[in-house]
Amino acid sequence: MAQDLLVVDDLKMHFHTRDGVVKAVDGVSFTLNKGETIGVVGESGSGKSVTAMTMLRLIPMPPGKIEGGDVRFNGTSLITMSDDEIRKIRGNRIAMIFQDPMTSLNPVYRVGHQIAEPLMLHKGMSKKEAWARATELLEMVGIPHPSSRVKDYPHQFSGGMRQRVMIAMSLACDPDILIADEPTTALDVTIQAQILELMQELQKRTGSAIIMITHDLGVVADMADRILVMYAGKAVEYGTVDEVFYTPSHPYTWGLMDSLPRHDMTEKGELCPIKGQPPSLIDVPPGCSFSPRCPYAKDICKVETPLSRSIDGSHVAACHFAGDAGFTRNEMACALEVTAG
Amino acid sequence: MSKDNSPMGQDSKMPASGGLNATETAAYDALSAGPSRTLLGDAWRRLRKNKLAIVAIVWIVIMVVAAISADLWVPRFFGDPIAIETTTLSTNRLLAPSFTHPFGTDDLGRDVFSRVVYGARFSLAVGLIATAISIVIGLILGALAGYYGGLTDAFVMRGADVFFAFPYTLFAIAMIAVLGPGFINVFLAIGILGWPSIARVFRSSILSVKQQDYIQAARALGANDVRIMLHHILPNSVAPIIVYGTMSIGGAILTEAALSFLGMGIQPPTPSWGYMINASTKFLLTAPWLMLWPGFAILTTVLAFVLLGDGLRDALDVKMKD
Repeated sequence: MAQDLLVVDDLKMHFHTRDGVVKAVDGVSFTLNKGETIGVVGESGSGKSVTAMTMLRLIPMPPGKIEGGDVRFNGTSLITMSDDEIRKIRGNRIAMIFQDPMTSLNPVYRVGHQIAEPLMLHKGMSKKEAWARATELLEMVGIPHPSSRVKDYPHQFSGGMRQRVMIAMSLACDPDILIADEPTTALDVTIQAQILELMQELQKRTGSAIIMITHDLGVVADMADRILVMYAGKAVEYGTVDEVFYTPSHPYTWGLMDSLPRHDMTEKGELCPIKGQPPSLIDVPPGCSFSPRCPYAKDICKVETPLSRSIDGSHVAACHFAGDAGFTRNEMACALEVTAG
Repeated sequence: MSKDNSPMGQDSKMPASGGLNATETAAYDALSAGPSRTLLGDAWRRLRKNKLAIVAIVWIVIMVVAAISADLWVPRFFGDPIAIETTTLSTNRLLAPSFTHPFGTDDLGRDVFSRVVYGARFSLAVGLIATAISIVIGLILGALAGYYGGLTDAFVMRGADVFFAFPYTLFAIAMIAVLGPGFINVFLAIGILGWPSIARVFRSSILSVKQQDYIQAARALGANDVRIMLHHILPNSVAPIIVYGTMSIGGAILTEAALSFLGMGIQPPTPSWGYMINASTKFLLTAPWLMLWPGFAILTTVLAFVLLGDGLRDALDVKMKD
């Protein structure tokens, strides 16, 4: 087997606050191969973004602290390398796109300057070369009149255009991995589709791997090769798109899917939201952290933390009963009363 | 040749990039019409629309030019601002404004206009140098406090609080009392007193900029601390300092006038607006112009700097679109 591009191995990032320890990421593992796309899905506050930022060591420490696990990029640990070394990775080998393009560009610099910055930092390009490349990149992400637009300021661009600029910035150094942290959440629906299409197209052209963080199952179904479902800082299910979508095995994943409107829904069919609230990450329930909201929860769930169980192949789910023959999604789950802990 | 040219002309009208329709192109062209825009250019364009700020700039320029070039014309046309002509003293003292002495003369027979112009030298110098001292100290300490936070922040800000705890003018008087009156000491006293406000403004500005997504984005691009501080945080947080600094030039001039009025600033016979007012109190009823002219000079100069600062605040706001 070829060497994996990125291996995240039981990563734990905890925040030590005055109120207690926030276990924002508590044992997340996945691997990413070259050119592959992985979708990280979960509710707000489930630790998706923190996972991504921890990989690049962008979390201020303290209050953050990596309590365990490792992130290996091409076999080298990103966690233990020096600040100088990780800086050479950031923006160069692993780049990141942020959620809100309206605030992610520096308002006092021309967009060309901002796209040129990583090129001058990492590739040692002269200002002139970097600006020429910035113009090419703007054209690549589909901005009309790139040679004059490159001299404009961010406030002269619309939201969708700015996200294109962000993408141009992140792709400037031709990174191996692109981390997209909810890249379409702040955009309206038609622009969302354009941006996703652009990312897919550019991925085909540059061959970079993508970590797509989103709470939109539709986005990952379309783009991702593999899916990681996160809940309360933990990975609850991990597998290929087909595995997760056709044979979801964790009650939380079932809940996510039941919360989505479907084409084949009858008029009477109601959406079935997951009851309750995600737990406070300071005070995670004992046992399975999803158990208080889980309609299938049994006594053991409230006591023992479930380990990842292999369903088949790479498909794993962290549930005591995952993969058991009799343990299937109940169409009537909505009606089941959650036994409140 | 002309026949060859026409198809060429049509060719050049073809859209440069595919997929862009005519309306979009037109809209874009309208948007980007005009000279290439820069941040400072934009700021200047907005400032120019503010009539009060322009009046303030014109007034400040007049004052500065008059103060700098005073040696060339003032003594020749209006008389020496310092020397006392003992022979003509009795006929020349306390004259009302006239053509030869537009602002009148003081009790020692010196031309008041001449003294006001020369007084501008010291007042403007105090305003600029003292503010520069405040800004240098304030920027450094404010930056440390805002960027590093924690203990550094607590230390610097408690230091600032100690300064704020004293009444401003009293503190200045106390410092002069310790240092002794004189040019340099007035600069230092006013300059040192000004830093806490600058540090506070800059710190809060940095704190808000530090949280911005583009700072995180810069970090994710691989920029180091120094680069983030100088290239990303500083340009975004310096606007309030420019505004506040401009306004505190007026404040420094006012403080200097107060010190001089109390005899703690510049020492006679060097002309100073504050001291001129002090000296004229004896003649308030008999020769009121003696007090009016330096008072007017203080008022207009301070007002000009405050109005300019106000104009700059609007002009430097990046998010404001014309």
